[in-house]
Amino acid sequence: MSITTLGSPCCAVEPLATPSTSMERELAHELTVLRRRLSVAAVLTGLVVVATLPHMLGVHLKWLPGWFTSPWTQLLLSTPVLFWCGREFFTGAWSSLRRHSADMNTLVAAGTGIAWLASLLATAFPGVLIAEGLPADVYYETAAVILTLVLLGRLLEARARGQTSEAIRRLLQLQPPTARVLREGVATDIPVAKVVVGDLVQVRPGEKLPLDGVVVEGSTWVEESMLTGEPTPVAKGPGDGVIGASMNRSGSFSFRVTRVGADTMLARIVELVRQAQSSHTQVQRLADQVVGWFVPVVIAIAIATFVLWFLVSGNVVLATLFLVSVLVIACPCALGLATPTAIMVASGKGAEIGLIFRSAEALETAGGLRTIVLDKTGTLTMGQPEVTDFERLHGGRMPVGTLLALVAAVESRSEHPLAEAIVAYATSRRGDEEPPDVEAFEAMAGLGVLATVGGLEVRVGSPRWLEASGLDTTPLDPVVARLERAARSVAAVAVDGRIEACFGIADPIKPEAHAAVAALRRLGLEVVLLSGDARRTSEVVAADVGIVRVIAEVRPGDKAAVVQRLQEQGQGPVAMVGDGLNDAPALARAEVGMAMGTGTDVAIAASDITVLSGHLAGVPAAIELSRRTMATIRQNLFFAFAYNVAGIPIAAGLLFPLTGWLLNPMLAGAAMAFSSVSVVSNALRLRRFRPAHRSVGAAA
Amino acid sequence: MTPLVLSAPLVLAAPLWRTIPQPLVLRVLVAAVGLVLIAAELWWFLGRHGGDVVASEGEQGVQEITIAVDGSYSPSQIRVKAGRPVRLRFHRTDPSGCVAQVIFPDFQRTLDLPLGATTSIELLPTRPGPYPFHCGMNMVRGSIEAE
Repeated sequence: MSITTLGSPCCAVEPLATPSTSMERELAHELTVLRRRLSVAAVLTGLVVVATLPHMLGVHLKWLPGWFTSPWTQLLLSTPVLFWCGREFFTGAWSSLRRHSADMNTLVAAGTGIAWLASLLATAFPGVLIAEGLPADVYYETAAVILTLVLLGRLLEARARGQTSEAIRRLLQLQPPTARVLREGVATDIPVAKVVVGDLVQVRPGEKLPLDGVVVEGSTWVEESMLTGEPTPVAKGPGDGVIGASMNRSGSFSFRVTRVGADTMLARIVELVRQAQSSHTQVQRLADQVVGWFVPVVIAIAIATFVLWFLVSGNVVLATLFLVSVLVIACPCALGLATPTAIMVASGKGAEIGLIFRSAEALETAGGLRTIVLDKTGTLTMGQPEVTDFERLHGGRMPVGTLLALVAAVESRSEHPLAEAIVAYATSRRGDEEPPDVEAFEAMAGLGVLATVGGLEVRVGSPRWLEASGLDTTPLDPVVARLERAARSVAAVAVDGRIEACFGIADPIKPEAHAAVAALRRLGLEVVLLSGDARRTSEVVAADVGIVRVIAEVRPGDKAAVVQRLQEQGQGPVAMVGDGLNDAPALARAEVGMAMGTGTDVAIAASDITVLSGHLAGVPAAIELSRRTMATIRQNLFFAFAYNVAGIPIAAGLLFPLTGWLLNPMLAGAAMAFSSVSVVSNALRLRRFRPAHRSVGAAA
Repeated sequence: MTPLVLSAPLVLAAPLWRTIPQPLVLRVLVAAVGLVLIAAELWWFLGRHGGDVVASEGEQGVQEITIAVDGSYSPSQIRVKAGRPVRLRFHRTDPSGCVAQVIFPDFQRTLDLPLGATTSIELLPTRPGPYPFHCGMNMVRGSIEAE
């Protein structure tokens, strides 16, 4: 997307709580007002209905005084229902009308207003109707009942809408209001908003961490499940990062604050969820277009209905009833609410179980995936490689200590994850040898490193690369084959063109990998393993977790090209799952980029979906949630369209010539009020979503 | 007063069903007035009315405009220059919960509008084209037209 946004200065100061709590207060106020008006409307409407009972049932009720059933009494009772309880429909309709727009209010105001006005005419000039041979009936109760039902619908809908944003509210409540800050040796509780970066914060057992930071003193177990969905507590000691809103389980410790305000992980998560909730899906664009011309078209249909029935029957009362029915049965709200409510609930639900969707489109696309590409290191494996084998080659002549010191010196310059493992191993085994100075250093991404140390040319890298550089790798081959069959990554060391040794490096497979891959396959997805590692090593890992298709020996820069090739082969839409740091281009290339979060360093903005816990079960869970969401949206849109497409002709009296049935306008009003409530309630069902494959570490 | 059979969702209104012969003039008149009303109503709601409003040039090249939120956005069509920041200041006087939020789907931004206050948002439309915005329920709508 080519659009960027600028931070709005008004919101940057207090990013948490403020806008949302004012919204909450407003919603609460709206509910109070609606409840009060609804109760008044219900009482008055009840009285009007009682007044119409004798006429409706065709009997004379002795206990009802004559004045009570008079049309004038009904006028007196129903007028406040319309113009006090329902005054917002009329003022809203008027102000939209002035600005050339029409909405729900227009329909409700026109429908009830016409019924009321027609009754007023019948009350004041009954002679006109009687002269026509028609009873001078009044329809005050119709107007009052419709208005009361619409008010009830609006109340239910406002309550349900409040629940759709519940997840954000709960996230915002995770942050404790105060922090125990140590300044000049004195610990004081101060509001979180007053804490600045660099402050030292003390946390006792059972307390929530107020902000993000790095542990300075003490050690503890911290539960981050409220943010990541991962229930297993994580051990934290000096130097470890901690995140605000997580729960301190065991020890007391203090940490230095590194992020406050809008930069904290919690604030970023809330912002991302809000962003997702503000975005649109492709299917919604269709509904949007319909909503734009819906009300004017309904009004046109209503007028046409009146004209046609008047021409057919000459009966003005009948034609008016049809007109009112058409106006009040149409429900553009159901169309407008169908998608956004589902997106609201789903992205909130996602956040609750540690899945962050960046946009509504991410939810939509993830629901239709066909292929999922899993990166090996850090995604399927723990991403904590360790040297398990060290093999000298027969031709090697350099003493072990000297060689390891050399390797440690060279590899400490590299940023490759395997290099770290080699440095750790070499440093612990080099004995008294000091690492020599490195004179020249060059890293070949995904292949290895080339350095000059004490006049010696040292290469550490993949056997493939060494072979391609023209070195004789024959003695290495059997060793490499054996290590790769044991799922080891192999790095070989060559000094001055002669291969001296090789390392076998193991990266343990995540315990949940097998179950997660099985879950993905049950969802009907083609699972592909993508790795920069040797083919044999990758195949062993793939076989272990149940993946058939392996694309190995891919350099980091080529991963995006592999994704593109899959898309061109018609395997799309493709999801790429990676750590979000090294494979960003591939994540961006895929229709859905999923990043596996690892604790505090989460590159959430770079991906379409982030699994905060880094737990693989989150991947099938995200896809399941997306599918459920899209199913809900389709149900909602289908219902909303079908309701209007079927309801309007019935209200217009299309069934009358066939069956002799007419829709009572009051029932039309009831149908309208509950169609939007049912759309919102259907979306709220997503709150009960549980991934089939027990998600996010719960099995651990 | 419509006879209401509570058990059935559709109601037979037989006593009301009575054909009344109407003079031809009246029938033609009703049909004509109906057609005119339909045409007028469609023109009023769907036709184009008034020009777009051009956002004013503020300090540091920020294009600014104040939009009144009262049943609808006024103005609802705002013309701006693409590639330059735009500051929209929404002043909400409409108590309806519907318009308590304004959503900019292309920017993935939502703005909460407290009642009786002015709230502003800055956006950067990088390319020419329409950038629609609407209320939380998608009934009240407006658009930024970048050129």
